[in-house]
Amino acid sequence: MRKLSAGTALGLGCIAFALGVAFVWIPLDTGSWLVERSRGRYVVGDSLAPMLAAAFVLIAGVMLLFERRADSNRPSRDNLIFIGTMTGFGIVSLLLMRWVGPVAAAILAGGEEYRLLRDTVPWKYTGFVVGGGSLIFAMIAFVEERPSWRALWIALGAVAAIIILYDLPFDDVLLPPNGDV
Amino acid sequence: MTDLGVRDYILLGIQAVFAGPEAFSLLGLPISITVLMVTFGLILGIVVGATPGLGSVIGMAISLPILISVFGFNADALLPVLGFLIGVMKGSTVGGAVPAILFNTPGTPDAFMTTLDGYPMAQAGKARKALKISHFSSVSADTFSDIVLIVCAPFLAILVEAYLDLPEKTALLILSLSFIAAVVGGSAAKGLLSCGLGLLAVYIGTGEDFYPRLSMGTTALSDGIPITAAVIGILVIGAIFAELEELWHQSRRTGRIDVAKDVGDQRLHWSDIRQILPYISRSALIGTVIGALPGIGSTLAATIGYATGKRLHARRKAPGDPGFGEGAPEGIAATEAANSSVSGANLIPVLSLGIPGNTAAVFLILAADSIGGFNPGPAVFKFSTELNPELVIAFGLFTTMIIANTLNWTVGGALMRSLGVLVRIPKQHLLPVVLLLTLASLYVQETAMSAVWFGFGFGILGYFMKRFEISPLPFVIGFVLGGRLEATARQAFSATGGDPFFLLKSPIAAIFILGAVAVVYFSFRKPKAATP
Repeated sequence: MRKLSAGTALGLGCIAFALGVAFVWIPLDTGSWLVERSRGRYVVGDSLAPMLAAAFVLIAGVMLLFERRADSNRPSRDNLIFIGTMTGFGIVSLLLMRWVGPVAAAILAGGEEYRLLRDTVPWKYTGFVVGGGSLIFAMIAFVEERPSWRALWIALGAVAAIIILYDLPFDDVLLPPNGDV
Repeated sequence: MTDLGVRDYILLGIQAVFAGPEAFSLLGLPISITVLMVTFGLILGIVVGATPGLGSVIGMAISLPILISVFGFNADALLPVLGFLIGVMKGSTVGGAVPAILFNTPGTPDAFMTTLDGYPMAQAGKARKALKISHFSSVSADTFSDIVLIVCAPFLAILVEAYLDLPEKTALLILSLSFIAAVVGGSAAKGLLSCGLGLLAVYIGTGEDFYPRLSMGTTALSDGIPITAAVIGILVIGAIFAELEELWHQSRRTGRIDVAKDVGDQRLHWSDIRQILPYISRSALIGTVIGALPGIGSTLAATIGYATGKRLHARRKAPGDPGFGEGAPEGIAATEAANSSVSGANLIPVLSLGIPGNTAAVFLILAADSIGGFNPGPAVFKFSTELNPELVIAFGLFTTMIIANTLNWTVGGALMRSLGVLVRIPKQHLLPVVLLLTLASLYVQETAMSAVWFGFGFGILGYFMKRFEISPLPFVIGFVLGGRLEATARQAFSATGGDPFFLLKSPIAAIFILGAVAVVYFSFRKPKAATP
């Protein structure tokens, strides 16, 4: 069987996505049709604008099928490994950022609620230092293909610098995740 | 009240900049906060431009939440914040040439052509001279482009307000989106796809019904996607992933990541300036014309400026002089003048039509949106008898551009030449730090973890768009303009009594719509190669 070119595969994907948006997502998840009658007058409904967006994607998909291009890039296996790893690092680090503070407070603060401690030292920094530091450390170690003390110091130094930049000068600024816990 | 004329507004704009809140006084002379912020912005712009892997977009993305925290949400914040962003924009166009010339590494994508002659000059021991040529060309072309902006934007805006009604404005937005989608990047289809995705994303969780559309019943989507998360995710985080991956591949191939080395210097003489002036003037004109069209960007301007300069040089050069690509100063002048003159002219569509033509303009809109009190677009240029504060801000903005240019002429060159050391910072260390800084700045601005998740998610989308060679710019501009397109279309539809053909009834609107179809059709027929 002949392999699909990248352009054709992308085009077919766009057409399927646009049709799904136009015939499933928009009708099921929007409160009004393309045009509605309100107080005797016709007005534009909430479906029209997303339908226009879906039309853009659909036309793009059809054009991709017919576009005369010699070659079109597609993500390789290496690309997928890289972005998959980065996504993993991101998810773990952001979860750490969000939950390390509340968990640490639950264990070490004698049952005091994290929400009440979120603007006090050291609690307000725990999530950001652990989550942010691990994000930087993991990314440097992955790109250099080895963990190093240098990467760790850079991560901790950078986190400290961001705290100095955002948290120390401004009373009304809260570092993640303290603004909405 | 007496009538306020153009001259009054110009004076009020200048006054708003120089006589605004005072930061400190220098030899008894009060220095306003706006002037100080333009200076800081310019310095930051030169630094981020000179640092490979960074650029004006990252500089603006990180500084915007800090600026808003410092200045708050009031009318007094507008000029200092917008002035800072203008400074970053102008500084980065100058700074981008530093690593391109010294180390064959373009600091910004449009500085790529600068490497072709800049690096050979540096290797021949003329690095300092090459930097001076680049600085002179860049700043003179930028100044020319600003003059065109200051003269043209108000006239264009007045014409738009006088002749375009709601259906025409809707059609103009559709034409602009189609034009950007068709001309940016290597493929009209991919541009259209990028724009469609941007539009779809901005319509999530918005609308006029009680139920927030396309929110799938979730609270995260029901408030809509924060504009900063989408823009910064697609533009900044996506680019960081792509850049990090290059380093990862480099490390896997060679076991090490290359760091460039330093070389020589020389002076710039009046004879050199005379020699490069014809190239600067041609490229400045090319860059300004290209910059005035939304979405085309400085990379194409640099390419056309370089190609035009190359033809001129082939006719004029003396035997024995280096040709383009072999270390010709004229090559640097042609490229830098073209890409720098785009930056001023790029603000013509945003100030006169409210349509952002490039990423810097997107950030100006974001800042104006966040602070409030200034909506870039044709309505700004209403010379009414009642004081129009938005018009004062517009002329204040022009004043900040002139200040930024003056600073660029006077101290920018020396600062730029002292920054060669920045290229030694290993990118694999710098980029993850910038990523965390970007995520933190997103959180500071939105105060919601969902914004950080959205930013990260859009970063992944931005990465895939890069891998499929889809330009992210149409996405961003679709996202920024989507809300206005819908609002204008709703009003136009109601105003025409629910006429389904309202976009084709007036000749001007019909011409815009036909133009939109034509530009996509002709771009589709003629595939291009370069992706900015």
